[in-house]
Amino acid sequence: MKRLFFLILFLNLAFALNAQKYMTKNGYIGFFSHTPMEDIKGDNNQVAGVLDISTGEMVFQALIKSFHFDRALMEEHFNENYMESDKFPKTSFKGKITNLSSVNFSKNGTYDVTVEGDLTIHDVTNKISVNGTIEIVTGGINANSKFNIVPEDYKINIPGVVREKINKNLEVTVTMKYSPLATK
Amino acid sequence: MKPYVKIALFVVLFIALITILAALILYNKKHTDMAKSKPDFVVPAAALQKEFEDNEATASAKYINKIIEVTGTIASVTLVDSNNLNISLKTGSDISSVICTLPAVTHSAMFRTGDEIILRGECSGYTQIFPGKPPLDVLLNNCAAIVNKK
Repeated sequence: MKRLFFLILFLNLAFALNAQKYMTKNGYIGFFSHTPMEDIKGDNNQVAGVLDISTGEMVFQALIKSFHFDRALMEEHFNENYMESDKFPKTSFKGKITNLSSVNFSKNGTYDVTVEGDLTIHDVTNKISVNGTIEIVTGGINANSKFNIVPEDYKINIPGVVREKINKNLEVTVTMKYSPLATK
Repeated sequence: MKPYVKIALFVVLFIALITILAALILYNKKHTDMAKSKPDFVVPAAALQKEFEDNEATASAKYINKIIEVTGTIASVTLVDSNNLNISLKTGSDISSVICTLPAVTHSAMFRTGDEIILRGECSGYTQIFPGKPPLDVLLNNCAAIVNKK
């Protein structure tokens, strides 16, 4: 009986700990480059992400090959020439909300946050700090952010011939719709 | 103008025209239509996911960039934006899936949780957000729903 009590207590605790985590597998990361010569847009709707609301930790993982472009040729160049996706298949981010106390997770609303962490693209990791919002909605949490990255910071070589067609700063958009992590 | 100059000029122009035409065709190349492509592999969703879970390296080498026809039961349908729909297929694990993105779906309501479905798409690999632990999801892109003729 005592054992059962502790088992129930333990399971409850495990559940409570797990309930602090929110997850999505259908997250979105996109990037946009505008130049007078050409607009380039890549969209990835298969981003996996976890948000731990007790610590503010955020983790993302996405496949380079899951970025989709309107033009098949652009997608081919992106994978083969720039990102070398056969060699470096994934991009990831691991970081933390630095002003976690300003988010009231029990009250619906939109809160401004700053997230700091390590962004890995093309097997190069850089520290970044970006602004975004955390939106508390009934049954879930949304996270949004827009920031710029420079391809050269991640050792992505863009040959001179096409350099003028790609903006020096790429605008990255992140949209995540998390739901509580299923406890099983 | 001497005749050989004329011929040379004509040849140069002809080559230039062909080059421009080839560049244009390449630039406007469409994405592969999965509905009309022959699959490299036909596999149930659960078996595909298990192969990745058992040995990521072997499964990656076997499946990535290949056209896969996957059969399974719909676990969830998510309209990710106005152009794309994600369909998750059930696997042997409760928390792992095969996630298929379908572009330009006009009738998302025709896909319902619990339905059996056949999807064909290109495998981009897998995501595993907790290193070495489930969930491990296999991702297919540019998918088309294949009508079951049976």
